[in-house]
Amino acid sequence: MTGTSGDIPDLVCARCDKPLEMRKVEASYLGQTFPVELPCCPSCGFVYVSEELASGRMLKVEQALEDK
Amino acid sequence: MTGPVRLSLGRTRSVCPECLDTIPAERFAVGDTVYLDKTCPAHGRVVTPVWRGLRSYDVWSRSPRATALPVSVKTDIAEGCPRDCGLCADHRQQGCCVLIEVTSRCDLVCPVCFASAGRHGVDMPIDEIGIALDELRSGSGQVHIQLSGGEPTVRDDLPAVVALVRAKGFDFVQLNTNGLRIGREPDYLAALADAGLDCVFLQFDGVSDAVYRQLRGRDLLAAKRLAIASARAAGVGVVLVPTLVPGVNTGEIGAIVDFAKQQMPTVRAVHFQPVSYFGRNPRAPSDEDRITLPEVMEALIEHAGGAIGLEDFRPGSAENPFCSFSGRFAVDRSGRFRSDPEPGTGCCGSQTGNTTGEAGCCEATTWRSPAVARAQRYVAGQWTKAPQEEMPAAGLEAFDAFLEQQSQRLSLSGMAFQDAWTLDLDRLRQCHIHVAKSDGRVIPFCAYNLTDLQGRSLYREPST
Repeated sequence: MTGTSGDIPDLVCARCDKPLEMRKVEASYLGQTFPVELPCCPSCGFVYVSEELASGRMLKVEQALEDK
Repeated sequence: MTGPVRLSLGRTRSVCPECLDTIPAERFAVGDTVYLDKTCPAHGRVVTPVWRGLRSYDVWSRSPRATALPVSVKTDIAEGCPRDCGLCADHRQQGCCVLIEVTSRCDLVCPVCFASAGRHGVDMPIDEIGIALDELRSGSGQVHIQLSGGEPTVRDDLPAVVALVRAKGFDFVQLNTNGLRIGREPDYLAALADAGLDCVFLQFDGVSDAVYRQLRGRDLLAAKRLAIASARAAGVGVVLVPTLVPGVNTGEIGAIVDFAKQQMPTVRAVHFQPVSYFGRNPRAPSDEDRITLPEVMEALIEHAGGAIGLEDFRPGSAENPFCSFSGRFAVDRSGRFRSDPEPGTGCCGSQTGNTTGEAGCCEATTWRSPAVARAQRYVAGQWTKAPQEEMPAAGLEAFDAFLEQQSQRLSLSGMAFQDAWTLDLDRLRQCHIHVAKSDGRVIPFCAYNLTDLQGRSLYREPST
């Protein structure tokens, strides 16, 4: 992976060497599914979750679900 | 057959309201009401309504009983319950929330007061609070701390007290307050928040000044609004705590809920407390002076207009089931409740616990009670401030919608404190709300506040 530029990720799949594209994916946790758009590799389907997302929104969602 | 059918619901023990001697008692139902019936050899028979609603009584009685041995035993069994509290080896639950009465001073002198507080009380010295906290940490473990009184905010050093509680390793601190000072002095609440305060447990009896005049002796609604505004600014969650007195504010139950919805997400919960007759309530109450938990649930259900039902409320899972109810509800954009069922809280993590009566479904354990730990997580999750909103981000709307929904959930709960008329020692033994004494003992809340008809107490020192 390389860095990002602005809001549009300028990311390349390390395995396939292809630029990632924003695609609809489903994030699931503890039985709840969230349709979101995240950078994906068009070749192998790898989904990129930034550190900011993992330790921000996504963590809050996980904690809220664990708390239920 | 003539006369009403009397259905016996089991035997327990209680006390005589005149002499506080421990005496046998029977629970029975006539019609839709459950009563506690007891006879003192010296002072005669007393029959008191404790639960008006057989349908919920049946559900609550089938709830699993979580029991655990105290983390540590501080007193010997000598005179028997409720006179050996400290805790003694006969107690069957651990502390969940422990109150520390940091002062006996108060800036209101209410006709209704658990603590018999007045203007001329004394503060507990901060070094004594430190000792009490150390005792509590070693004797009770990781408990939630409620700073209580008196009115704790009469102390200028309260931020230092909050910081001390945090420094001693306690994870959750709430402030039991009438809200006057925090409303008047937002910076004072901000200092408490900076020191680590999680939650304001706000005395909030109604949405009209007539209620405050009757219960607290003066108009207070504007002061309550200011307190909530300060909490919003300081980022501290608020729990509204109405003391429900029949004929005074029971007609405002729905209006209090509507008010809470308007003040979300700062207001996180409404915790109803039907009036109990101790402290400054020495006269023998009549049946009409009491409102029981199922009546509160009925009022909430009726006010919601079909959006919620009895099945959305659950009994207390760590304390005795008959001590409380709680439910958590999503509030949609139009302000209407939506039932938001949660996974079961059965004992031992199971969804459906066995009904095994007194013994409970867990083996009594001397380590931390899982039921108490879960109750603490629920409170820490719901009663503190809601998660802060994120800046909108394209593609992540589903996360944001979920998080907003979480912040738009309101908890509605109630807890029935027991007085000399309603005291059921089976319930008291499972009590998980305790009061810390500076000598290291912890006293179950209802034993601590218990007074006889003349206002004499077993544990509370007379107000100075």
